[in-house]
Amino acid sequence: MSKTPFPLEKDQLLDAYRTMRTIREFEERLHTDFARGDIPGFVHLYAGEEASATGIMMHLNDNDRIASTHRGHGHCIAKGVSVKEMMAEIYGKATGACRGKGGSMHIADLSKGMMGANGILGAGAPLACGAALAAQKLGHKGVGISFVGDGASNQGMFLESLNLAAVWNLPVIFVVENNGYAESTSVEWAVASDSYVDRATGFGMPGITVDGTDFFAVYEAAGEVIKRARDGGGPSLLECKMIRFFGHFEGDAQTYRGKGEVEDIRTNKDCIKLFQARIKEAGVVAQSEFDKIDREVLDLIEMAVVEAKAAPLPGPAELHTDVYVTY
Amino acid sequence: MTCPVVGIIANPVSARDIRRVISHAGNLQITDRANILLRILAGLAATGISQVVMMPENAGIYGHLRRGLERAANTGEARFPALQLLDMAICGDASDSAAAARTMRKMNVGAIIVLGGDGTHRVVVSEAGNVPIAGVSTGTNNAFPEMREPTITGLAAGLAVTGAVPPGVAFVGNKRLDVAINDRHEIALVDIAIVRDRFVGSRAVWKADSFRELFVAFAEPGSIGLSSIVALVAPVNRSSPFGRRLIFDDPQDAQFRVAAPIAPGLIADIGIARIETLDFDTPTALTVGSGSIALDGEREITFSERDRISVTLREAAFRTIDVAACMSFAAGNGLFVESTKQALSHALGGQG
Repeated sequence: MSKTPFPLEKDQLLDAYRTMRTIREFEERLHTDFARGDIPGFVHLYAGEEASATGIMMHLNDNDRIASTHRGHGHCIAKGVSVKEMMAEIYGKATGACRGKGGSMHIADLSKGMMGANGILGAGAPLACGAALAAQKLGHKGVGISFVGDGASNQGMFLESLNLAAVWNLPVIFVVENNGYAESTSVEWAVASDSYVDRATGFGMPGITVDGTDFFAVYEAAGEVIKRARDGGGPSLLECKMIRFFGHFEGDAQTYRGKGEVEDIRTNKDCIKLFQARIKEAGVVAQSEFDKIDREVLDLIEMAVVEAKAAPLPGPAELHTDVYVTY
Repeated sequence: MTCPVVGIIANPVSARDIRRVISHAGNLQITDRANILLRILAGLAATGISQVVMMPENAGIYGHLRRGLERAANTGEARFPALQLLDMAICGDASDSAAAARTMRKMNVGAIIVLGGDGTHRVVVSEAGNVPIAGVSTGTNNAFPEMREPTITGLAAGLAVTGAVPPGVAFVGNKRLDVAINDRHEIALVDIAIVRDRFVGSRAVWKADSFRELFVAFAEPGSIGLSSIVALVAPVNRSSPFGRRLIFDDPQDAQFRVAAPIAPGLIADIGIARIETLDFDTPTALTVGSGSIALDGEREITFSERDRISVTLREAAFRTIDVAACMSFAAGNGLFVESTKQALSHALGGQG
């Protein structure tokens, strides 16, 4: 039992806050810089969803592998990928995590167990199954985590992966980050058997739905399904019901959202504010400690942007390198 | 006399929490929930109910339900009453059940049939006023709603609200636990647990080392959930004129321990310091400084040393339909029998 009235010690709570705050500031900065035309390609921002990536990744180590989505910055940061290398990658610079050749949707760092963001919807699920199979064969108790959105969960690859994972009893967790919209299409219109838990049940594995805006709800549930997988209990599905602050992509006019919807969720369902309020109210962390982290995070993001802008582009000689990567 | 309207509140998200993993609890799929509703509707129609109103939801129950209703209409079958969805915004959480119950109470429905676990029933009761409830268990911990075939619940509800079974037989009063947190008031139908955690998290309560206090309105030895802890030591009937308060102790040091089924598939070793009797209308203050309050098995509210909290047991605070009594009355009075006295006597071998 922890010394705090939470499932984490004080330093771990501060780590969780730092991770969520880093994701938020990273995304807010990209929002600004993209609008200014500084960034090539597309970006899909994870702001508002930080509790999911952070609550899950706090249970993982570098032996555990994750397969992310097109909205992958939060997963990368929470899994320990260098923020500076991520920023450089998004700016398309040679100092980036993939030498500037991947961009936002293909950031990867195998040394951290981050197998990559992925521009193909649902394509991370079979990769996570592969990582889980490797962990099972190697016997090192590692797990594979597949992140998908509510829209990608309708893809054949995802459903086939559920089947494969159940048949082989793989230590894999399918995390459905349900932010309510597949691009601009509401879940209500596009998902038959609207319960993702029902889908898990159909493939013979347990499913859980949690409030993805509550860090502690995600943390508790993720801890149980990951432990189950490590102990040989096989796959599970975790649905995190959450919200995104920005559009599907930067530049999305979001005409599909209700009037005042974004303002409401920023005011009432901001996972970082909710987390901060809860541990502050319990007297575990003082505001000055949050403020110190906020300053450090802002400095880190600013430095990452400055260094990314100053870094060189990949040279023409590198056009044919890094095309294939050995996992 | 106009035919009474019956309300239905079916929670689409009950039985989806962490207990699927920690204790192997079941999941009732959306299609099964829709099938349960069709069986309830068939029962209601058989007793003459012609109109039902239902809470809308966005999880797919109504989509499946509509197929069954449209098919019956296409084939000319009169198996189901007319079904109308309430005109209300859908939030996708417990506030939907509360809003629907509030609206149904204002509509003066004859009864509300509830699909869910203890938590769903609690939310509906909190807004239903004097409207009687008939519960169908589709949740995880189901100490409050009985495990029963929903067709029978539909039949009994129809008999009760049409007056075919007298009110004195059809309806019973139930105890309730009220908890006051400063100026905020909440209720529980079965139990209120005080735990150490200062976060709601995944809501379920299963870590015995966090338990501090437990209040029960009733505790039946055959039930599941936290009330089973009291039930296996000092049971309390639903009709007993008192409840119980239990103070937990560390199981390692406790002189008194009980192995109790605190969740489906989870039998925990629980240490008990003492058990007291709760009388009606007598507020009891907590001895715990801070933590969270679990209502009917789910963490709902956190509190600090600055909050004033008390728990009070109330008598006959809300009404339910006594399904067994309704069906016994129906059998005893031949409510489902169409026969002459002579034919009935003949069928029973002259004993009728």
